[in-house]
Amino acid sequence: MARKSAIPPESFDEILAWLNPDREVAGAIYVQLRHDLTKIFTWNRCPDPEGLTDEVFDRVARKVHDLRHSFVGDPKLFFYGVARNLIKEVPKKVKTQASLQGTEPASDPLTDVAEETANMRQECLRSCLQRLSKDKRELIIAYYTKDKQAKIDHRTEIARRLGVSVETLRVKAYRIRGTLEECIERCLNRMAHNK
Amino acid sequence: MNEKPVTDALLRQFLLGKVDDQERQQIETMFVTGALSNERVMAAEQHLLDEYLENSLTPADRERFLAQYGETAVQRRKLRIAKSIQDWASTTTDVTPIRPGAVSIWNRLRTHLNLKPVFVIPIAVSMVAIIVAAVWLNSRWQQRSRHLALEQELSRINTLRDNPQTTALTLVPVSLRSTEAETEIRPQAENPFIELHLIWMQKEQYPSYQATIRKVGDSESFTVANLQPDNSSAIRLRLPTRLLTDGLYQIEVSGVSATGDTGLTDEYKFQVKE
Repeated sequence: MARKSAIPPESFDEILAWLNPDREVAGAIYVQLRHDLTKIFTWNRCPDPEGLTDEVFDRVARKVHDLRHSFVGDPKLFFYGVARNLIKEVPKKVKTQASLQGTEPASDPLTDVAEETANMRQECLRSCLQRLSKDKRELIIAYYTKDKQAKIDHRTEIARRLGVSVETLRVKAYRIRGTLEECIERCLNRMAHNK
Repeated sequence: MNEKPVTDALLRQFLLGKVDDQERQQIETMFVTGALSNERVMAAEQHLLDEYLENSLTPADRERFLAQYGETAVQRRKLRIAKSIQDWASTTTDVTPIRPGAVSIWNRLRTHLNLKPVFVIPIAVSMVAIIVAAVWLNSRWQQRSRHLALEQELSRINTLRDNPQTTALTLVPVSLRSTEAETEIRPQAENPFIELHLIWMQKEQYPSYQATIRKVGDSESFTVANLQPDNSSAIRLRLPTRLLTDGLYQIEVSGVSATGDTGLTDEYKFQVKE
């Protein structure tokens, strides 16, 4: 279902202008809004969240010229309203597609799949770790050392040493792991491509 | 609509799909408008993922978690990668390299001074410790003096009211631009300063901000406090171009409350090419 968004450039400019008069700020809001809508579709277990986010922007683009002058309030709420409508439409599409494509296997998601082994992941992990700064490597090791209650105490201690809250420490670890995960995904894709 | 405060417990219920439609729409609306910080939601997701990987979710929550985060092939691959990272981190031990000692010098000294072997090791250890400590203290003192001087300079140029000759550049947080290449900066000799406009995307605003700048791979970092946002929610940070050398730089900006506590942070990156 993934597809390219087909927003005409003038409508895209109008969307940006509606989001914020400063184009730089509007660009940042646009990227954030795309991310937020994709998360919302994911939380609602919709298939192809990226494609649905494109669809939201396509639908808003068709009306943006009038909306800019008539809609009162935060424009992001309008985008969210369109997303809610799409969420209601989606289950019908899922049913139709399920009969054609089947569903995902119900195996343990942590079990290896044929095209991707634990060794491949380890190799990619090693390569991606080299790209992290020493600080980040140390933090991610420290963050995941120890289990259960010992881990909670350990993280509290790391946060105290860094002078941040446990919440902030968790976000830092989340970002580092996010960077690593993206790098590993790209690496695994390259390996699969070269097979 | 009668809105409930979004506690950590409610957020967890939401992420596991255990809320009703009204609560779901309330949380999603707050998320999309920024009233509920993106980082807080991501941290809660991270916490759930940790619990799943450690097998500490109840069977019912585990099932809900997998329905939410392990249904598609892409999601299942993300879980496998997260597990690999966690397994690696939990089995990695920090190994400190040991340098070989300079034994031959002490052998010569022992022979020359006709020392009894029993005294040689303690004397040698003490002397090495004293020399190492003196060298280390001297180098630390020099480094610290240089570091303090640079931080004072950074503080001074960021409180200047008039605009020195600068190159201006806008940066957005890395969380918004993970798929794009880093913004490039080419320091120009005619402009002694570069002015960065760091877009603050968090909903919470603070009376002031502090930025920590470091070159990726370097252990040294510089902190600039008392930064103020301008009218368009961008935080202005000036850097002397002579300090910037080829490489990737990272800036972490934190909000500072009126009581001096640090709050939410955003991270920015840029690449310097000379």
